[in-house]
Amino acid sequence: MKRRTVLAGGVSLALVGLASAARAAGDPMSGKLSIWLGYGETGPAFRLALPAFKEMYPNVQVEILSFDLHEYEAKLSVAVPTGNGPDLLTLHDYIFPHYYENDMLDDVPADLAKIVNDPKIVEPVFAKIASREGKPWGVPWWKGSRALFYNTAHFKDAGLPGPPKTMQEMWNYAEKLTKKNPDGTIQRAGITLRKTEGSGGLQKFGDHYYATTGVQILEAGPKPGTIRVTLKDNLDAAAQLLMDYVAHLHGPKKVDDWSLKADAAGFANGAASMLMREDWVVAYVRKNGPDIKFATAPTPRGKAWGNFNFVEILSVNKMSKMKKPAWDFIRLLQEQKYLDSVLQDSGWVPLRLDRNFSAFLNKNPEYKAFLEPYPGYVSYIEPPNTAYVECTTRTGDVILASYRDASLLNNPDGAKRAIMRAHDAAVGILQKAGIYAP
Amino acid sequence: MAAPQSVAMPRPRRSRLGEALARMKRNRIGFVLCALGPVLALFALIRIYPIAETIRLSFFDYHITRRRTPFVGLQNYLYLFEDSAFHDALRNTIVFSVLAVITTLLIALAVAILLRSIEKAAPTFELLFYIPVVTPWVPASVIWKWIYDPTHGPINYFLSFFGVPRLGWLLDPVLIVLALVVVSVWKLVGYFVVIYGVGLRAIPEEVLEAASLDGCNAWQKLCHIVLPLLRPIILFTVVTCTIICFNVFAPVYVLTASSQGAPAYDLKVLVGEIYANGFVYYHMGYAGAQCVVLLLFVMSLLVVQFLAFREK
Repeated sequence: MKRRTVLAGGVSLALVGLASAARAAGDPMSGKLSIWLGYGETGPAFRLALPAFKEMYPNVQVEILSFDLHEYEAKLSVAVPTGNGPDLLTLHDYIFPHYYENDMLDDVPADLAKIVNDPKIVEPVFAKIASREGKPWGVPWWKGSRALFYNTAHFKDAGLPGPPKTMQEMWNYAEKLTKKNPDGTIQRAGITLRKTEGSGGLQKFGDHYYATTGVQILEAGPKPGTIRVTLKDNLDAAAQLLMDYVAHLHGPKKVDDWSLKADAAGFANGAASMLMREDWVVAYVRKNGPDIKFATAPTPRGKAWGNFNFVEILSVNKMSKMKKPAWDFIRLLQEQKYLDSVLQDSGWVPLRLDRNFSAFLNKNPEYKAFLEPYPGYVSYIEPPNTAYVECTTRTGDVILASYRDASLLNNPDGAKRAIMRAHDAAVGILQKAGIYAP
Repeated sequence: MAAPQSVAMPRPRRSRLGEALARMKRNRIGFVLCALGPVLALFALIRIYPIAETIRLSFFDYHITRRRTPFVGLQNYLYLFEDSAFHDALRNTIVFSVLAVITTLLIALAVAILLRSIEKAAPTFELLFYIPVVTPWVPASVIWKWIYDPTHGPINYFLSFFGVPRLGWLLDPVLIVLALVVVSVWKLVGYFVVIYGVGLRAIPEEVLEAASLDGCNAWQKLCHIVLPLLRPIILFTVVTCTIICFNVFAPVYVLTASSQGAPAYDLKVLVGEIYANGFVYYHMGYAGAQCVVLLLFVMSLLVVQFLAFREK
């Protein structure tokens, strides 16, 4: 009797199991779609799209997890190669090559590939970063770019007519805007220069280097995926730029100091009059310095005029069992109302040229430099580089250490040696990664 | 006379489990193995295996997102000699550890001795000193980030009364090490106060009274009675504190993070470098080599400490 009961129970359980397995097999649109975000501030756009997605896939559960950016990149790097990780990938352009070069991304469906390759919809510079030899591996979604933030009240007090238009004006204005105590120490920085954290430091030095020379420090090599370092080719200009930084951090022309509250926090605090930073700083200053009156302007020009961009790319994990729902979610995210949410909630600028954000700009004029097109103002981006973070961090460490060296004041030979050290640091890392192009 | 017949007493029936246990008790080695086996297996799985795997990986060019993992022999170890970031990290970690271990243990010992003179109030003070120990590193570091703020931080405000100019505590390569030492001492000192307190309470009162009767002053009692009797405790604290300090990471990570729009000086420490190489640059093999070096370095230090403090 007992044995018969156990047998009957076992058979029923097996039947139930088989039935649910058959149901799942018959309905491929059930399960869980996993999305991980390194920029949690874009989460509202994903959540806003959930009802529309649910109408398409009522049996698919969507899990959206946000992490700190570095943690996110670390988790992703461990999960995806082992066949795990999220179904829908949100990848920064500098980690993107790791995934397409190692065959971890699904093929972009034809309709989305057509959008990416249409220059009227996505600027070619952004389509290129998401592609390898013309084949897109993801859909560029939003960009972060840099602009000059300036405190309009400080400018008015100093009698300055408007934001600096050239590099020389930027330094001159910084000197005029700097407030010093009677003992010579700086009370308010004319411009808060990026003096800490190698990768970020090199990026901001790189902005001025681009304006001065018309090229980036790291440029694409002749073979896809290879990188060349341009510092040696532009040694005089790079050394002069370094000396300009040193002159404005030491000596009589000093406009900034390491003991001041710096960067976005310094600008939001009124401790600095100018800052070169990305879109997110608008929301940051509004929140942390509500009394600060500020505006944004394109970065100052030198020999060249342009601004650095980084891009968030939407893609799908090749090992995902939810590829179709994931691509459909990406299709949804291209619609105006979700792109509006990205802009409003995060400040990052959507990349679709065929969408209209003028209503947002009217309400939020601080975004002018990020949203308005300026004729002749070039958008540039780092070439795909699998050693990007390491290369910029280590090279930036050398440049930032040189800022502290007062002996480089009016010392062209010393500045050239410092630039060559930075050059060699970059070359060494690229060579080790096997992507150096002489 | 008939020999008394032995009456066969019915033997109590033992269960199979009971018999197995009895057999095991007879065979002591088997018993010990069965008792400790699961624990040892778990220890091997979660402690020994990762260390062995890290050592193995350190001989490979294991890049976390690449499928190929070629064997490179000692190449990762040789690159350690060229890597200036690793040298900076090693130097910073040693300087920080020396300062933090010495300061923490001296303050802890002094506080424990002072608390012994106020026996009744000692537990209350020990509790107060212990609060930072139970505070997690991350919130503690966030609080200290504010304390070190150059504009609004209380430290600069306090120092301004003595004419000290504004200091960028977290922006200067030297000051940030001192700032980190202060945070670590604040966090760790309570733990060692308790440990020293236990050691001091174990010193017989009669020994100290006898020394007083012989005319010893407080300093002589400290040097010739208290410290020698505390030798095993001091060894324990030096070893523990050294290990904690060489593994410093969380406070450095939080104090220098740029999430608040104000990145601090990028202070390199060994564990931070291992994290960066493994999870930011994806060089797992090279990070493994750094782990092995850290392990060997700390173990050598511990051997030296054991030799220095051994009973003569």
